[in-house]
Parts: sequence; structure tokens; C-alpha cells
Amino acid sequence: MSIKKLDGKVPAGPIKTKWDQYKFDMKLVNPANKRKFKVIVLGTGLAGASASATLAELGYHVDAFCIQDSARRAHSIAAQGGVNAAKAYPNDGDSIWRLFYDTVKGGDYRAREANVYRLAQVSNNIIDQCAAQGVPFAREYGGTLSNRSFGGAQVSRTFYARGQTGQQLLLGAYSAMMKEVNKGKITVHTRSEMVELVMVNGKARGVITRNIITGAFEKHAADAVLLCTGGYGNVYFLSTNAMTSNSSAAWKCYKKGAYFANPCYTQIHPTCIPVHGEGQSKLTLMSESLRNDGRVWVPKEKGDSRKPADIPDEERDYYLETKYPSFGNLVPRDVASRNAKLVVDEKRGVGATSVAVYLDFRDAIKRDGKDLIKEKYGNLFDMYNRITDADPYSEPMMIYPAVHYTMGGIWVDYNLQTSVKGLFALGEANFSDHGANRLGASALMQGLADGYFVVPYTLGNYLVTEKPEQENVTADNKEFDEALSSAKAHFDKLMSIGGNRSVDSFHKELGLLMWEYVGMGRNEAGLKKGIEEIKKLRVEFWKNVKVTGTIEGINVELEKANRVADFLELGELMARDALERVESCGGHFREESQTEENEAKRDDDNFAHVAAWEYAGENNDPIRNIEELTFENVALTQRSYK
Amino acid sequence: MSTSLVARFSTSVVKKVAMGITGLLLCGFLISHLTGNFLIFVGPDAFNLYAHTLTSNPLIYGAEAILMAIFLGHLFMAVRLVIENKLARPTPYYVKKPTGHGATFASSTMPYTGLIILIFLVLHLIQFKYGTYFETTVDGVTMRNLYKTVIDFFTSPVNVVLYIVAMAALSLHVSHGFWSAFQSVGFNHPKYTPCINTLGKIFAVVVFLGYSSLPIFCFLQGGQS
Amino acid sequence: MSNANNMSLKLKVWRQNDEKSKGKMVDYSLDDVSPDSSFLEMIDQLNEKLIDKGDEPIAFDHDCREGICGMCSMMINGQAHGPEAETTTCQLHMRKFKDGDTIAIEPFRAKAFPVHKDLMVDRSSFDAIIQAGGYVNVNTGNAQDANAILIPKVDADLAMDAAACIGCGACVASCKNASAMLFVSAKVSQLALLPQGKIEREQRVLDMVDKMDSLGFGNCTNEAECEASCPKAISISNIARLNREFLSAAVKSRS
Repeated sequence: MSIKKLDGKVPAGPIKTKWDQYKFDMKLVNPANKRKFKVIVLGTGLAGASASATLAELGYHVDAFCIQDSARRAHSIAAQGGVNAAKAYPNDGDSIWRLFYDTVKGGDYRAREANVYRLAQVSNNIIDQCAAQGVPFAREYGGTLSNRSFGGAQVSRTFYARGQTGQQLLLGAYSAMMKEVNKGKITVHTRSEMVELVMVNGKARGVITRNIITGAFEKHAADAVLLCTGGYGNVYFLSTNAMTSNSSAAWKCYKKGAYFANPCYTQIHPTCIPVHGEGQSKLTLMSESLRNDGRVWVPKEKGDSRKPADIPDEERDYYLETKYPSFGNLVPRDVASRNAKLVVDEKRGVGATSVAVYLDFRDAIKRDGKDLIKEKYGNLFDMYNRITDADPYSEPMMIYPAVHYTMGGIWVDYNLQTSVKGLFALGEANFSDHGANRLGASALMQGLADGYFVVPYTLGNYLVTEKPEQENVTADNKEFDEALSSAKAHFDKLMSIGGNRSVDSFHKELGLLMWEYVGMGRNEAGLKKGIEEIKKLRVEFWKNVKVTGTIEGINVELEKANRVADFLELGELMARDALERVESCGGHFREESQTEENEAKRDDDNFAHVAAWEYAGENNDPIRNIEELTFENVALTQRSYK
Repeated sequence: MSTSLVARFSTSVVKKVAMGITGLLLCGFLISHLTGNFLIFVGPDAFNLYAHTLTSNPLIYGAEAILMAIFLGHLFMAVRLVIENKLARPTPYYVKKPTGHGATFASSTMPYTGLIILIFLVLHLIQFKYGTYFETTVDGVTMRNLYKTVIDFFTSPVNVVLYIVAMAALSLHVSHGFWSAFQSVGFNHPKYTPCINTLGKIFAVVVFLGYSSLPIFCFLQGGQS
Repeated sequence: MSNANNMSLKLKVWRQNDEKSKGKMVDYSLDDVSPDSSFLEMIDQLNEKLIDKGDEPIAFDHDCREGICGMCSMMINGQAHGPEAETTTCQLHMRKFKDGDTIAIEPFRAKAFPVHKDLMVDRSSFDAIIQAGGYVNVNTGNAQDANAILIPKVDADLAMDAAACIGCGACVASCKNASAMLFVSAKVSQLALLPQGKIEREQRVLDMVDKMDSLGFGNCTNEAECEASCPKAISISNIARLNREFLSAAVKSRS
């Protein structure tokens, strides 16, 4: 098999009118015919819930699936900071063009321009839509919406609902979904996990799911399948993702022909609460907004074990402020994270584990008073106090980077369709809009843009053009039975190994390998070693994993084993992708490719492209296909935050 | 969704409102009853005259019927709520501990204090309304000497203590019931709710002290009449 | 990592195989629990021990482990989400317990929350209540400019207070009557306070209360245990608002 040059199917025309023109050019489904189509939506986060609701409103029948006990609990709910939009309400010079420009630049020029522009365009509709649903956005005294600057943006374009923006947006989308459930247009299958994609005549026509409560395998047929299952950060075991966040649905699609794009692009968030010890199960993010007032520092001396208050200013290294005078503590996430790792590697880390840096509010409290700081960050300080038992008002917080978001994902074209016909990927599950690094408050924007405003158009075009309904596919087709048998065989195999090591012990070991070799700094030798180690671990997993219980009924260990089996394959692909991309960009830092000041150095001549990996069978190396990225509207420059 | 009027009036919210409104009306009765009973301090004639005027008015039957209906309504709803609420948790907890910031002793014992009040009320009616009949003459009119019935009854310290215990239960019951009634009918306001809470507590204390003062006074009067 | 501060605990955990079978409290002991670990990490540790012995681990609901998804539940020593105010089980840390403590762990119990297994319960009744009307009937694409709807900050803040509900069910679990009034009132309040929700406020409250009643929840008796155990401190003033909305709607509605 040979390397393919992929076509992103970006419509022609000037970027500003592309989407509008394309919306006109796309074919429409007759309103009376929409009810004849059934769409499967996997996942009920922002992307899945918004798509389900909107498609149902249009008249399609939607079958939505989620792992949790309710569609309201998807991990989008945990996003704290806010959602960006180019409303320019504060009159500070924002525009659709600036949001587009910032997003392309922030992604280190590894995103598809046309998608990003469309994202910026529909961002304003998202705010309108959410406000109409009753999302309680923060307001000014005059009754208008409140905005704040977030994640180092030079304009205030972030809308927020206290520190719970993700929750409120998701509850808005969830309530829209429930409205359609009430009308009989959506069927929600909770506590269901997708375990296989069903292909008929080369098109995605359904899924096999496993009911987590009964253990039953179920067949579901539809005219199209939407993959809205989020990112794969849990490959690192410790991340800010929820415990059940997983890559399995995406991975099953990959194995059925959907390309996996840029898997090495992972975002390590700089402000998380450090690991406390071996029993740590997940990491908690502290909102990035803390960097607006907190100052990051470590002692100048190695192994300085004095209490922070006893270290005088001249012996503190405010390393972000020194290195990046104009952005200071507000440098982008990848830069802040990498610098934290640098000082910890220099043995200047703080705390019991020495794997943390200080985020100090002493000066902000001195300047603004405790009351103002409390008003701004009170809930975050309380959260920090609850978890660590330390008081950030009187001593500096300790923070350390943690895996937070994955920019890579299933490759999609401009229509959000994957390389498999009839299979669409939305939100964090796709690769499209954030390039190599995502800006703060952009994930919520993208999930909702895809679900509310993009896929409802492009899916219709697919259905009219490809006419899947004429193929008379039902869950009785033999392809469904075959897929069910193969999925069940996979689970039977996991049950039958009868080894000695728990699923979590494998997952933790994989996580450590990933953090070590495919973490914040990557190099050729490490990546090669990582690939070998992951392979070894995978072999051991299939010989020695211990899954208790039975295949029937609730079996949490079995669920986890299925997910970890896929992580063990995905982890290797991430390492491969990182190895092949011999440049640094955004969240991917190759130590071989850095400027003299240790900044990420891109190689636009050789790597201004998307790497879309194609599965080539169990015993073959995957194929690295390429989609060239062309930049007609934004000039490629070296990012500088000096 | 169309719902019949009957169904609408048996929703959980309406049941609470019914409890609240009947409860508040009964609180009103407690006040008027207490005010009348205070005439016992003035003397036998004043008290007997009050009782006579009240019972000889033909409207009393209507008033009693209404009072009875309110009471039975309160009782019926209470029984219904207790049964329904028990059914809402078929398997009890192995350990259950209050938070300390929500339920109070008064709120968690409402069915029990209610039961005490019910028993008390039946006995109260038997002991006084349908109790021993003495006669007296005030200003030339022959009437029942209820004063003597009451004083006689409270010569027994046991009766005094039991009566006061019942009044303690009543006081606890209204201390939760008073503000709860306002909450049930939808009145909750950051400015006024604290006042209602305080008023409820004052009301409970007044009910307790007021009603308890009667048997104590009668006990002290005992044998002197 | 063994540490001098680590604790030994006696645990009494509800084990129940499935919805139909009878459950019972089972005793476990667990050593070397770090005071810095969360309550759920302590259960992870117990589960690892059980798996080592070849026993089935304890099934429990959890997901985000940062106190927002509402998935985790558990009655800990008879209190929903344990002894700490405004804290979900996943955010409860073992330093709040002492070495040698006995901890009883049970599922949230209510007729409307049947037990799936061990500590996992079925809270789909909450979804059913939202389906009955917990939304604004506005389709995607119909919205006017967000700033065309002006909302007083006070109302927006009150709506946000109510909207903070994570749907965990602690209110039902801690209520002695297993009433869902706080949950329902939070959604009714949020939408009644905002102009967007006012159009449908009457039908919404009638339908949601009817649905709540039909699902087997108990009746509210104003004890406020729900508010006290709510990890998001949703106020019972919302219940008063629900009562008010309901009465007004019941009188005015045409059906």
C-alpha cells in the first residue's frame, strides 16, 4: 500500500464566503424525508448532545449513546474557563478574522485554515443559541453578557458561567436533547459502550454496543454514524480526563478504515494539582485564569527545601517573567508546561515530591487585597484547599503540568466526514481545528460549532448524495451479526486470559511509559525505546491480564480491560507519529528541533501537513498518509512570546 | 399534558400546601383558644361566662364543624404523607446520620409530636368538653361551671405534668410547622424569611408558656375554690 | 508508598449482585491508606486488593473525579457524599478520617433509585423529570443576538445558583422522605428566573411535578437535609419558588 495525499474537500472561493457559499451549494433533504433517516450519535458531550438535539429538531431520528448513567455527565461538563466567540462586545478590536488568526497561530500553523475560519464564524451563533436555551452566562449590571480575557488572549472574547461554563453549556445541549427525547425523536441509550463499527457496502451503517448493566451486546443500524467520543488523554493513565474517557470507539473506527490524524498532538496543561502519590487516580485542573494574577516561580538553588515564605525574592526564579518579558506568566499552555518541566528536571522542583512549581498569589493579595482575590478565585482556592489541605492565601499553590486535551483525532474533511463514508467525527474526537495546540476556551466552541452548526448541514448533503437509505440495511444484515460475533469474541478473549496483573497496573505502567517517552519533551531514542516498551507491555497484557467477574452483568474490570487494550495500541501509534514528525510544533516538542532559546522550532518545508494514519492490519505497520496544509490567509511565522 | 382537577389537587406540592394552610389555621385556633382560656386568671365567673357565651351561640356548631374539618384535613394529609414517604424508601439505610445543618429535632419528630397532640386532643375533649358537669349561676343565669371541672382536674399533679408534656410536643410541632407552612405556600424571601423563622420560634414559646401556665395556675388554686 | 501517617480502616460496604438480589453489608479491612488520597482512591485501593485475591471489585459510580459530573454517590457513615459540606464523594479526602475508623458505605437509597449493583444506582428518573419540561423550547438557529435579552445581574446570578445542580441525587438520598423537590426546584427556578424560560413556565412546572410524583419520590416536609447535603449548596428557597410557580400555574392553567 502506498502513501495517499488526502483531500480535505475544502470548497473553493474566498475564505470569508466559503462556508456561506458551500451551505447554499449543498443539497438539502426534503423535510418529509428527514424522518426516514436514522443517525447514530456516539457520546453525549458538547459535540454529541448538540448534534443529537439539532438533527432531531430537523426531523431525523437519533439514537444517542453514552457510557454514563445520563447524557448530562459527559466530560465536557468539567470545562471551567469559558467559551470563545468573536462577538466583540467589549469593543476591544476583536473580530471573526482575529479569532481565526489567533486560533491558527495558537495551533502553530498545523490546522486547516478553512475549518478554523468557519469555526470563528459560527462562534457567535453559539453564544446566541446557548443564551436562548437559558444558559446562565455571567452578566454585567446593565444586563448584558460579561466577557473576560482568557488563556493569554489579547482581547476579552471569553463568555463564562462562573467557573462552570462547560457544565452550563452541556446542560443547555442536554436539555435540548431531552426536549427531543420527549418528542420521541431521540432515543438515549445510557450506560452503553460502542464496541464495534458496522460497515455495509463500504459505508458506516451502524454499531455494536455493549450494555454496561446487562453485559448484552446489541446491534444498532442507521444511515450514518457520528463519532463524538472526545479525546484520548487517558492513554497517559493520569490526566485531567474523566475516568471513563477513552479512545475505544475511535480506535474501532480506525481499524475499520478511518484515518487517525496527528495522534502525537497532546496538550499538557500547566496548572494542575501535582500528583500526591502512587494511589493517585486522576489529576485535577486548576483554571488557567489563575495565571492572570499568580506568579510562577521556583528557588534559584537546586534542592532548596526551605519553606516558600523563607525564600527571599532575590533567591526566587520567576522563570516565565524573566524568559518572556512581554507575556510573562500568560504564555501559551505548551510553553508554560515545558518550562515547568525544565526547572523540575534541573532539580529545582518544590514540594514533597519535588515535582511541582509554585504559583504565588502573595503579590496579588498585597496589591489588590485578599477580598478581591477571593472574589475572583475563591472557588478555585477552596477546591485547592479541599484537595491538598493547604491554604493558597497564606502560602503559594503548587502546580504541575498534566495531560489535558488531545488535538489529534480521527481525520475528517471539511464536511467532518472521516475517510469512512457515512462516519463523521465531531468535537475533540476529530483532529481538525486546533492544529498542534489548542487555545483556552476553544474546545467548548469547537464541540458546539460542529454539533449545532456544521454537521446538520453536511450530514444532509451526505444523505442526499449517497442515498444510504436505498440500500435497505437493517440490523438483520449479516454484517451486523459478524461484527457482533467479533466484538463478543474480543471480550471473551479478555475474560479468558486469567493472568495475574490487574488492568489498572497495566494502564499505570503504560501511562508512565507515555509520560516518559511521549510526554512534554520527545526525542528519537526515547520514542524508539517507548515503542519497544509499549509493544512488550501489550504482549504481556494479552498473556497476563486478570479480569475478574463474568461477561454478563456489570463488570467494571472487563470494561477497563477493553479500553486499556486499545490504549496499548494507540499509545504506540502516538509514539510513531511523534517519531516521524521531526519538528516541534505546539504540543509536540521534539528536543532535536528547538531554537537556541529552547523554543519549539517548526519545519514548515517538510511538515506543514497532517499525518493521517491508516490501519494496515494487525501485523503490518500503519501507513502515514498526508494532507498538505496550505496557508493562503495567514502568514507562517515563528511563534514568539518574548 | 392534561390532568384532571382531582389529580392536580393530589400532587405533592398541593399536599404540602394543604398541610401548611390547615396548620396555619390551627395555629390561629391555638391563639384564640389561649386568649379565651386566659380568662381563668380573671376568675370563675369571667371564665364560665366566656364558656357559656361561646357554647350557647348557635353558630358554634358551624364553627366546630369547620375546625373539625380543618383538623381532620391536617390529620388525613399527615397520615397520607407519612405512608407515602415511607414507601419512597423501601430499603432503609444501615446507618443514617443527619447533617446537623438541616433537620432539627422538631422537624424530624413531626409525626410523633403530631400523634401526641392527637391523643391529647381526644383526652382533652373527654376531660373538659365532655367532662364532669357542674352548675353555677352568674348574674342570675344558670350555666355550666367549667371552671370547677378544670380546677378539679388539675388538682392532680400527674395531670398537670402530662398536660405540660403535651404542650411541649405542641410547641415543638408548631416551631417547625409555622415557618414550614410559609415555605410550603411558596413564601421564601431573604429579607422576610428570617423574621418568619423568629416569629415561629416566639410563637412556639408563647404556646408553650401560655398553655402551661394554665394547669400550673389551676394546681396552685387547687382546693381553694 | 508507605508512610507513617497512613491509616488503617475498617470498612462496611453494601454488596448486592444485581437489582433483584438481596444485598448485605460486608466487612473489609484496609491498611496503608494515604491521608492525601481521595475517598474514591481509597476504594480503588480496596478493589486492587480484592482483585489480587480474585474477588470481584466493588462496583461504584464515578467519572470526572473533580466534583462536577454528578456521577459519584455513596452514603458514607449515613451521610450523602460523606461528612464534608459542599463536597462530593470524589472530592472527599481521607485526611477527614482517623486511623482505625470504621466507615459504613451504602448506595443512595430510594424507590426511584433502584440499585444496579453494590453502590451503583439507577438515577434515570432524573432524566425523565427533565424530559417532562426542564428546557426552553428553542430550536437551533432560531436565536436572536444574545445581548438582545437583557437580564438583571441579580436574576442571572440566582439562576446560576440554581443551575449549579449536578444531578447527583444527594438531595433524594439524604431526605428522609426520598423527595426530589430540590432537584426539580433547581431546574424550575433557573428557567423561571430567566426571561427565556418565562414563556413556558406554567406548563413546565406542572409537567415536571407530575412526572416527579409519578416516579415514586416522596413528599417534601421542609427539613432542609437536601440543602445541607447538596454538594453545590442549592438553596431550599428554590423549593419555595417551585411551590409558588406550581400554585400559580395550577390556578391559571387551562387544563
